[in-house]
Amino acid sequence: MSCGSPHSTPCSDVLEAVSAYLDGETTPIDRELIAQHIAECWPCLHEVDVYREVKVLIARACGGEQAPAEVRERVVHRIRTVSIQWSVEYRQE
Amino acid sequence: MSPRYDYMRPRSGMKVADASLVTVANRLEGITLLVLTLDQPGFTVLDQLTGVSAPLGSTSMDSDDIDAEFGSAAVAVDETEDERRARFERDALPFLDQLYAAAMRMTRNPADAEDLLQETFVRAYSAFHQYQDGTNLKAWLYRILTNTFINSYRKKQREPLASNTDDIEDWQMARAQSHSSTGLRSAEMEALDRLPDSDIKDALQALPEEFRMAVYLADVEGFPYKEIADIMETPIGTVMSRLHRGRRQLRDALEDYARDRGFVAGGGGDA
Repeated sequence: MSCGSPHSTPCSDVLEAVSAYLDGETTPIDRELIAQHIAECWPCLHEVDVYREVKVLIARACGGEQAPAEVRERVVHRIRTVSIQWSVEYRQE
Repeated sequence: MSPRYDYMRPRSGMKVADASLVTVANRLEGITLLVLTLDQPGFTVLDQLTGVSAPLGSTSMDSDDIDAEFGSAAVAVDETEDERRARFERDALPFLDQLYAAAMRMTRNPADAEDLLQETFVRAYSAFHQYQDGTNLKAWLYRILTNTFINSYRKKQREPLASNTDDIEDWQMARAQSHSSTGLRSAEMEALDRLPDSDIKDALQALPEEFRMAVYLADVEGFPYKEIADIMETPIGTVMSRLHRGRRQLRDALEDYARDRGFVAGGGGDA
């Protein structure tokens, strides 16, 4: 690997687990092993940093969108229409 | 509060008491429900969209196949229609913006996003009597949104299914695992950070659908893997794989955008 140092955890294992590591979905033991590894392997640290940045960018850019007011109105109207329709059907019994 | 039973008209010619499984349709909305008849005292309604009942998209579930008459069912409820609607509007409607944003990322255009959103809310409302207070309403709504998209809506779109995408990209894997340098290094993050939101949205929307949804659910909505697995009806291992590969594709795409915009050292950037 490019940093040239031996590691107790192979870089390939760390890179395979980067996503789960960033999502907090690794086991505590794996988490510790990865943290140890990236503390001593700068290429892997860089990979982790870049993927963290990608996560941050996605969260920043791709959420938080508001539905236009007229879309919201149409949804509410539709629900009420369904509701009324059902009530009428029930009362006909 | 004593239960109130709402009856829908029997489907002609059907002996409900003998049936173990009856389909009913809401004629107006084309909603299909599955009704499982129990011995006593009535019936339990299982909405296909919650995934509790029959496989989604089976042809027998198409509302076209169902008699114009309602199927016969008795639905036990302990709230009036008005009460239920008020509860739905109070609890579920606050998620409308979030679901709209997700629908935008799924369908990739406003008109289709609205259709998907409307269908999702109507289906959610139709199944809301089964929703249990205290369970994760947001995850429940996302599951309906996702199911609606995958099982009915997506058929309209001309996007190739991502069924083969779980198996591709070995070359990309090899590349990532060998640390092959992109020549960006620390400048890389700076360059990515300068990208306009539109590039990032474009990159996400260019992902194969299953990757896109997994990434969206994880990074925008912050769902844990277990809930993503439930929403997408897939094993957790598949969720992990989709996220792993989806993010790698995203990274590559974002690097390309940064390069195209000249944000990268040596690319003639304006920094």
